[in-house]
Amino acid sequence: MSTTRKRVYGYLAEFPSASALYKAAEKVRDAGFRKWDCHTPYPVHGLDGAMGMKRSILPWFVFFGGMLGTCTGFGLAYITQVDIYPTVVQAKPANIFTVPAFFPIMFELTILFSGFTTLFGLLALMKLPRLNHPLFASRQFHRATDDAFFVAIEARDPKFSPDGTRQFLEDIGGKSIELVEEED
Amino acid sequence: MAHHFVTSADIPVDGERLVNTKVESAKRVAGGAAALLGLVSAYLLFLAPDAITAQFAYSWLFAFFLFFTLALGGCFWTLLHNVSNSGWGTSVRRVMENLGSVFPFMAIFAIPLACPMVQKWLYEWMNIHGAAAKAHDAGYFDGFLAGFYGSDSMKAALEADHQALLVNKLWYMNKFAWYVRFVFYFVGLGLVIRALRKFSVAQDTDPNPTTKNLFKARYHSTYTLIIFAITITFAGIDLLQGMKYDWFSTMWGVYLFAGAALNSMAVIIITCTLLQKGGYLKRVTGPEHYHIMGKLLLAFTIFWAYIAFSQFFLIWYANITEETSWYLIRNTEGWNTASIALVFGHFVIPFVILLQAWLKKNPKLLSIMCVYTLVMHVLDYYIIVIPERSVSLWAMANQHVPGAESFANVTTSVPGAFWYDILAFLAVGSGFVFFYLRALTQTAVYPHRDPRILESANVSN
Repeated sequence: MSTTRKRVYGYLAEFPSASALYKAAEKVRDAGFRKWDCHTPYPVHGLDGAMGMKRSILPWFVFFGGMLGTCTGFGLAYITQVDIYPTVVQAKPANIFTVPAFFPIMFELTILFSGFTTLFGLLALMKLPRLNHPLFASRQFHRATDDAFFVAIEARDPKFSPDGTRQFLEDIGGKSIELVEEED
Repeated sequence: MAHHFVTSADIPVDGERLVNTKVESAKRVAGGAAALLGLVSAYLLFLAPDAITAQFAYSWLFAFFLFFTLALGGCFWTLLHNVSNSGWGTSVRRVMENLGSVFPFMAIFAIPLACPMVQKWLYEWMNIHGAAAKAHDAGYFDGFLAGFYGSDSMKAALEADHQALLVNKLWYMNKFAWYVRFVFYFVGLGLVIRALRKFSVAQDTDPNPTTKNLFKARYHSTYTLIIFAITITFAGIDLLQGMKYDWFSTMWGVYLFAGAALNSMAVIIITCTLLQKGGYLKRVTGPEHYHIMGKLLLAFTIFWAYIAFSQFFLIWYANITEETSWYLIRNTEGWNTASIALVFGHFVIPFVILLQAWLKKNPKLLSIMCVYTLVMHVLDYYIIVIPERSVSLWAMANQHVPGAESFANVTTSVPGAFWYDILAFLAVGSGFVFFYLRALTQTAVYPHRDPRILESANVSN
């Protein structure tokens, strides 16, 4: 007899094709669910719209990350070569008109900082890296990387109910519906 | 909101044709204006007193090359779309082809530039190349690499005579080669774009439309892309860089190409928006197409800035007399303000605005950005051509070139010459609009029998 407690993660339902999943996603969205996701072996065009997903906040992170890079590049070059220790190279002025000489480093740091904010912002938003995911408890879930299309509705969704959600998934055409439980 | 999936049932069998009284009257007005202003311009270029012709020659070069780049860009996008085997843009490809098909007609506006009475004000080397040729024949630079920059013979020659630079370049800068190239620009790419448009239009009425025309266009777009590259590079060198024979920049062709691709895309976007507003193209284009075209606009905004800065940067830090002269003129007094305005207006502002995806999906807002981009393109070409006017004419006056006497006291600009620039801009511009509208009304607005039209109509990115 197992003594481990289990917590319900949610329902996992399989759909036979990408288009069936697409139509099901629209119905889940219209039913008002919030905490749910689709899992497909390949990207499905327009699925984000069918799921009613809002645009990610990531571009703003990247924009301000990039701006920070520009300012860092300018600040580093200007403060060291104009302000603290005016450096005259090839009779070029050491004032604000030296700025063309700083453009390459401003450009480089913009790219670098944008790259960093893209990568780390993405990881943070996706809550990665993580060691495990409750869905891995499902025996059929590995097929999401092969030939199966899944919808997973989480139990923490306010609209979730053990019977109602199972019935709902059946109604929209879900097959092999499974209650996924994670170990506490 | 589910997207309506476009099927062949949505596409009219005979395609959509631009039949619109507004367009017809716009075409007539543009044609009439082009004819009238063209006559006035011809008078000013060929019959007016030298003092006016000299100023107007620069106005004409500015206006001609500005619209020349837009037509060239139309050729570029057509070629690129074909050669990259693209599916997304099939529904807007006809607009690209029609913009490109204006290119051969630009030869009409180029005629003045081939006339010696206009050339003598624009291209100083043409006035002195006779003397340079004599020096060349007399063995100015004998032996292998004798005229190479940095060689002792070149240094000695330059000490004695600034014209040595021209003597050295005579193999390229002689009148015969100039005219051969001049004709080639229009005939070469003109034939290319006409043929490509013909393949595309023939598909519209083909009773048995297959992939044959499409693949033919793809095949013939490969090597002809080289003709395009040669045309824009050497037309830029001959017509613009040639204003100063001692100046050179290896970035010049790329710089002009960046501006041409950017602004012809702006014209294409504006055209599509207006067509959609008139009720055309609605079945086959949507926000996704504007998003893609907007992204190309953003990409070329960045590319233009990258090339423009690289050109400036290399010349700025190398600090070589022959190279810096270009920027010295353009960073003197009022021109400096205009140059700095270009940095912000042509790059920083559109860059930040075009970063936003929602804006690129909105045809109206994107078109407003395109109009803005085109205004910056005008400023760009104004700064390329016009600062040269007062400098060249002043130098000619001091060398006692007949007809240039009145320019002996001009400084950074010739007073009042601004009005000639506007006149030339309107003359070439109305002609450009006329030929563009004419092309648009000649054919169906999109290739409705193209094998990829449904792929394009349902594009998602």
